Amino acid sequence: MSAVAIVLSVARKLRAFLIAAAPFALACLLAAAAPARAEVINAVEWSATAVGEAPAPDAQWTRFDLPLRWSASEASALQGVALRMKFRLDAVPAEAWAVLIGDAANGGRVSVNGRFVGAIRMPDERSHVRWRRPHLLAIDPALLVAGENTLLVQTAYRGGMHAFAGVEVGTLAQMSARYDGQFFLSYTLTWIGATLAAVVALLFGVLWLRRPEPLLALLAVAAALWVVRSSYFLIETMPLGLRLWLRLAYYAASGGFAAVMTMALLRLSGRRERRDLWLVLGYAAIGPLLLAVTAQHAAPFIEQLWMPGLVVMAAIGFGYAVRQRLRRREAPPLVLLAAMALALAAAVHDFLLSRGVTLFGSTLALHWAGPLLLIALATPLVDRFVRILREAETARAELETRVREREQLLKRNFERLRESERLQATAQERQRIMQDMHDGLGSQLLSSLMLVERGAVTQEQVAQILRECIDDMRLAIDALATEDAGLLSALGNLRFRMEPRLRAAGIDLAWNARGLPEEIDLNPDAVLPILRIVQEALTNALKHSRARAVQVSVAIEHSWDAQLLTIRVADNGRGITGESSGGRGLLNMRNRANRIGAQLKLETVPGAGTVVQLVYRLETQGGDTTTRMSQLPLNTEAVIERARQI
Amino acid sequence: MGEDIISVIIVEDEPEFRRRFAQIVENEPSMRLVGVAANKREAQALIERENFDVMMIDLGLPDGSGIDLIRSVSQKKPDVDIMVVTVFGDEQHVVSSIEAGATGYILKDSTPADVISCIRLLRAGGSPVSPVVARSVLRAIRNRMGPSTPTRVANPESNPLSARETEILQLLAKGMSFNEIGEILGISPHTVTAHIKKIYRKLAVHSRGEAVYEATQMGLLKN
Repeated sequence: MSAVAIVLSVARKLRAFLIAAAPFALACLLAAAAPARAEVINAVEWSATAVGEAPAPDAQWTRFDLPLRWSASEASALQGVALRMKFRLDAVPAEAWAVLIGDAANGGRVSVNGRFVGAIRMPDERSHVRWRRPHLLAIDPALLVAGENTLLVQTAYRGGMHAFAGVEVGTLAQMSARYDGQFFLSYTLTWIGATLAAVVALLFGVLWLRRPEPLLALLAVAAALWVVRSSYFLIETMPLGLRLWLRLAYYAASGGFAAVMTMALLRLSGRRERRDLWLVLGYAAIGPLLLAVTAQHAAPFIEQLWMPGLVVMAAIGFGYAVRQRLRRREAPPLVLLAAMALALAAAVHDFLLSRGVTLFGSTLALHWAGPLLLIALATPLVDRFVRILREAETARAELETRVREREQLLKRNFERLRESERLQATAQERQRIMQDMHDGLGSQLLSSLMLVERGAVTQEQVAQILRECIDDMRLAIDALATEDAGLLSALGNLRFRMEPRLRAAGIDLAWNARGLPEEIDLNPDAVLPILRIVQEALTNALKHSRARAVQVSVAIEHSWDAQLLTIRVADNGRGITGESSGGRGLLNMRNRANRIGAQLKLETVPGAGTVVQLVYRLETQGGDTTTRMSQLPLNTEAVIERARQI
Repeated sequence: MGEDIISVIIVEDEPEFRRRFAQIVENEPSMRLVGVAANKREAQALIERENFDVMMIDLGLPDGSGIDLIRSVSQKKPDVDIMVVTVFGDEQHVVSSIEAGATGYILKDSTPADVISCIRLLRAGGSPVSPVVARSVLRAIRNRMGPSTPTRVANPESNPLSARETEILQLLAKGMSFNEIGEILGISPHTVTAHIKKIYRKLAVHSRGEAVYEATQMGLLKN
C-alpha cells in the first residue's frame, strides 16, 4: 500500500515533466525498435590516395575493425582515402539491394564490385563537410555476384576527428527501415531538440522580459545556448571559412550551457558566492578562447580535455545540489536532479563514444538528454506558476465568501435593528393606549361608578354617562384605526358622530376643513389628545352653551419657522360663566394640550359665545416628506412617454 | 319602487341587539322583518329559505365569521343589500366586509332613526361611509396596486376606481360631508352616495379571485 502510495505521489510530482517528456521518449523508442539488420560489415581496409583518385592497383591496404575513428592534425590539408570492404553473398539476390552507412562523416564516392552506385558529398578545397546523418544507397542486384563482393568508398578528410562506422548491406526494404530509424535518432531528434529549446527560449525569454526573475533568465539563456549548440550538428555542409565560426559557436554554446546548468545547480543548492560564478564562467570561456587564439589547432585538446571538464564542472554543481537535497533545506526539485543526472550520463556516454567506446549504440545521447534537462528546469517554474494561479483563485473565492458573510451579517444586523424598532414602536403604542385608558375611559368610568353608587343619578343620566364612555372609546379607536394616524379622517368621524346630536339639540354645525393637504405630518402621540380636545369642546358646546351654531375650522398656518395646525371651535352661546360645570372639562383640555406641547386658547364672552383654539406645531421633516413622495404610486411608463414626447 | 315594502333579515348572536334591531324594523311600516338568525347555521337556512332585500349581519357569530355569509349572499343574490353591524365601525371589519360584498355598515348603538335611514339609503342606491373607512378603502386600493419602488412600477390597471370615484373617497377621507362633496364636485349628495355604493361593488368584484389572496396577505382578511 505505502509503496504504491509513494509511487503515486512521485508520479504526481513528476506529472508535468512526464507529460512534457513523454512524446519525446516515445519517438526515441519507436525509432530504436526498427527491424533487425541484414549483414553488418565489421572490417575495413584503408589505403591513402590522391584526393578524388581511385586507389592504384598496387596500393597498400591496411585492415581496421569497424567502427573506425581517426583524427588528423588540424594543420593538415585535404587528403584522399579509399575504404574497401568485403561481403559474401550465397546467391545473387532477386530484389533491390542497398548499402546503409550509419556514420560517414566525410561522405564519399561509393562503388560495388568496381561499379559506381552513388556519391555522398565530400569536403573539397572550398567547403567543409561533416555528416551527422546516415546514408542509404541502392544497389542494382545485377552488380552483385555470388560469393565475395567488394564495397569501395573513396573519400577525403582534413584536420579533425573522423569516423566511419555502421556499414550494413541487405535488401533495400530492410535497409530503408533501418535507415529511417537511424535518421530519426541522429538527425531528426536533433531538430526536435533544437526546436523545443527554441520554444523554451522564446517563452521564458518573453516571460523574463515581463517579469525579470533570475531563474527565468537562466532557463531562457540555457535554451538559447542549446539552440546554438544544436545548429552545429544540423549544419552539415558549409563554406570552409565558416568552419571556425561554427566550431567557436559550438564550443561557446557547450561551455555556456554547462556553465548555466552549473550555476543553476549551485543557486539551487544555496551557494551564491561570486567566486564560484567567476570560476564557472572562466572555465567555460577557456574552450572557445583557446580555439580562436590557436586558429583551431587546439581543437583536439579542447575536445579531449576541456569538454570532459565541462561535464566535471556540472557534476560538481550536481553534487552540491544532491547534498542540499539530502539535507532537505531549500531543496532543488527531484525532477531537475534526475534530469541532470541523465544529462551528465549522456555527456559521459557521448565523450566515450567520441573516444571509440560504444556503450549503447552510436547515437549521441545529449541530443535528447539536453532538451529533457530544459524541460525539467522549466517544470518547477510552470509548477510555481500553476500554484500561484491556484492561490489567486483560492484567495478570490475566500474574498467572495467573506464579502458574502459580511453581507449576511449586515442583513442580520439590519433585521435586528428593524425588529427592535418595531418592538419600540409597539411599546410606544401600548404606552399611548394605557395612558389614554387611564386619563379617559378609566377615570370616567370610575367617577361614573361613584355617582351611580351614591344613587345621585337618574337612569337617563346613566345612559348619558355610558354614551360618553362609548364616545371616548370610539375616539380612541378612530385614532388607532389608521396606522398612519389620519387626523383628518378621525376628525371627520368625530364630526359625523357629533353632527346628528348637535342637530337634534338644535345646533347647526359648520365644519371648515377645506384646503388641507391629504396628509398632515404629525406625531401619532398627538392625534388622540387633539381629538379629545375637539370632542370636549363640542360636548361643552352641546351641553352647556345653549348656542344655535357651532363652527369648527381646521387650518394649517405658516409661522416664520414652522407649520402650525390650528383648530378652532367657536359657538355663539352664552359663554362660560364662572363655576359652570364645564370647569373639569376645561382642565382636562388644558392638561392634554400641555402634554403634547400645544397651545390652548379659550376666549369666552358672556352672552356672545366661546372660542376654543388649539395651536399645534407640526414637525417639519424634509426627509420624511421625500420618503412619502417616493411611496406614492409612480407611473414610470407615463413618465417615459412624456419624456419621449419632449 | 321606493314605495315597496323592504324585506329584512337579521343575523345577530346577541339577543338584546337582535331584539332591538327586530323591533326597529317591525316598527317601521315601510319594512318587513322576514326572519332572524342567532348563528351561522340558522342564517344559512334562513338565506336559503327566504327572499329578502336587506341582510343585517354581525360579523362575530358563535359558529364562525359572518364574512363567508356575506360573500355567498352577495354572489348568489346580487340584488340584496348587505349591511354589517359593527361595534366601532373600525376599518378592519368594514373594509373586509366591503370586499366580501357588503354595501353598508351600521354601528350597534345607532338610533332607530339611523338604522331606518341607512336601510333606506342602501335601497335607494347609496351607501354610507365614514371618513376613516373611506381612508382605509383608499389605502386598500393603493396597497393592491402595490408599492412603487425603484425596481417595481405600481400597476395603475389594478386600480378599479375611476378618477371621480377616487376623488370622492379622498374628500370623504378628509372629513367632508356628502353635501360638501356634492358642492365641490357639482353633483347632488345622492349621487355621492351612489358613487360610494359603486365603489363598494367594484371593490367586492375586484377582490374576488386573485385579489382575495392579496388582501389576505395584507392582513385585511382574517381567515
